[in-house]
Amino acid sequence: MTRRLLLGIIVILLVPWVLTRPNTIDPGRLPAADPDLANGELLFHAGGCASCHGEDLAGGHEMHTPFGIFRVPNISPDPGAGIGAWSTLDLANAMLRGVSPSGEHYYPAFPYTSYARMEPADVLDLKAWLDTFEPRATVVGDHEVGFPWNIRRGIGLWKKRYLSDEPVIADAGLSDIALRGRYLVEAVGHCGECHTPRDRFGGPDDSEWLAGGPNPDGEGKVPNITPHEDGLAAWSEADIAYYLESGFTPDYDTAGGSMVEVQENFAQLPGSDLAAVAAYLKAVPAKSGSAR
Amino acid sequence: MNRSFVLFACIFLLLPTVPVLAGESPQEARHESMENVGGAAKKIGKMMKGETEFDAAVANASLNVWAESAATFGNLFPEGSETGHDTEAKATIWTDRAGFDEQLALFAEKADAAVAANPQDLDALKAAAGPVFKVCKSCHESYRLDD
Repeated sequence: MTRRLLLGIIVILLVPWVLTRPNTIDPGRLPAADPDLANGELLFHAGGCASCHGEDLAGGHEMHTPFGIFRVPNISPDPGAGIGAWSTLDLANAMLRGVSPSGEHYYPAFPYTSYARMEPADVLDLKAWLDTFEPRATVVGDHEVGFPWNIRRGIGLWKKRYLSDEPVIADAGLSDIALRGRYLVEAVGHCGECHTPRDRFGGPDDSEWLAGGPNPDGEGKVPNITPHEDGLAAWSEADIAYYLESGFTPDYDTAGGSMVEVQENFAQLPGSDLAAVAAYLKAVPAKSGSAR
Repeated sequence: MNRSFVLFACIFLLLPTVPVLAGESPQEARHESMENVGGAAKKIGKMMKGETEFDAAVANASLNVWAESAATFGNLFPEGSETGHDTEAKATIWTDRAGFDEQLALFAEKADAAVAANPQDLDALKAAAGPVFKVCKSCHESYRLDD
């Protein structure tokens, strides 16, 4: 009897421990090849790294969210204050699994639920590009997050529900160019982080994928970018690509808010990639975004 | 004809225009002005994107719309017109009037230069219109509310 009780207690303690365990990626998935710096730079712009981490990657930007204040870390190659001491595998675990080199969960304010869909080989290229920056010694303070969100281990449960390397929109029906667009939108560009509404646990509601939502920066709304009439129905693929290149909508209004930086980042990508984003955005299901 | 009658007739004839002028708020007037600027930009942009054939007459007429609007646009932001009529003007226009005036001056300068350039082919149009588009973007970023 006592033994069964003891066993029960162990199981009750063990199950959440196992469920919240940080999962790292198989090192074998990282290619041994030489990094492609040009691709690393392209990914850096598409991912908008500098828009959060700063032009010099020293971090410090504060994100005020319903869960607390998140301080964007220093990702310059400084070995102490930044990520200079990280291996490529460390960066891959951070970006694709949301796990730090010491095995802790990151908060999903770092958009790893999107980056999880990236190719590990691309992390290799990105790491090489980040290594070309000057080290910055800026030490960024800790996040200020209230209970229960301050128990990082709990993020493991959240990840069980929201972290996946599966694409949101299935391959079927997507052209090769739209597949490239899917990679840029769903994975690297992490467009869904703002353009997809979140559910009550703060995870993306994929049933309303890219249908817009409240502005995480405060006022106003993030636009619907599906082909719905409340979204981009009236925009041609050329309009979308031109917007990303120039910042002008078909009515010659301009991008506003955080989208200014996003657009300026995208403007640095080759035209073929902007056309790919456009092809993908015209291929996703039209959603009204009014469900929420 | 009696002089006072002529004067009366003139006042009487002009009278209906007064309420029309007074009836349009600065918020509405500047919205309309920007709609015109945007309409002209659309015509120029379509040529630049290759969606329509280059047409020197349309291009230059559109550049003229820009220059005309730029000449008066800054007068449409008097004190007291900060809010209302769904205005998308940012409060920074009134708190940083010098910065806003600088953008307005740039808008007028680049638009006038584009008109003076009198572009007769697509490359000339691109060269003339490009600097104006740049001002649109930078001024919107600082002085216009996001949607």
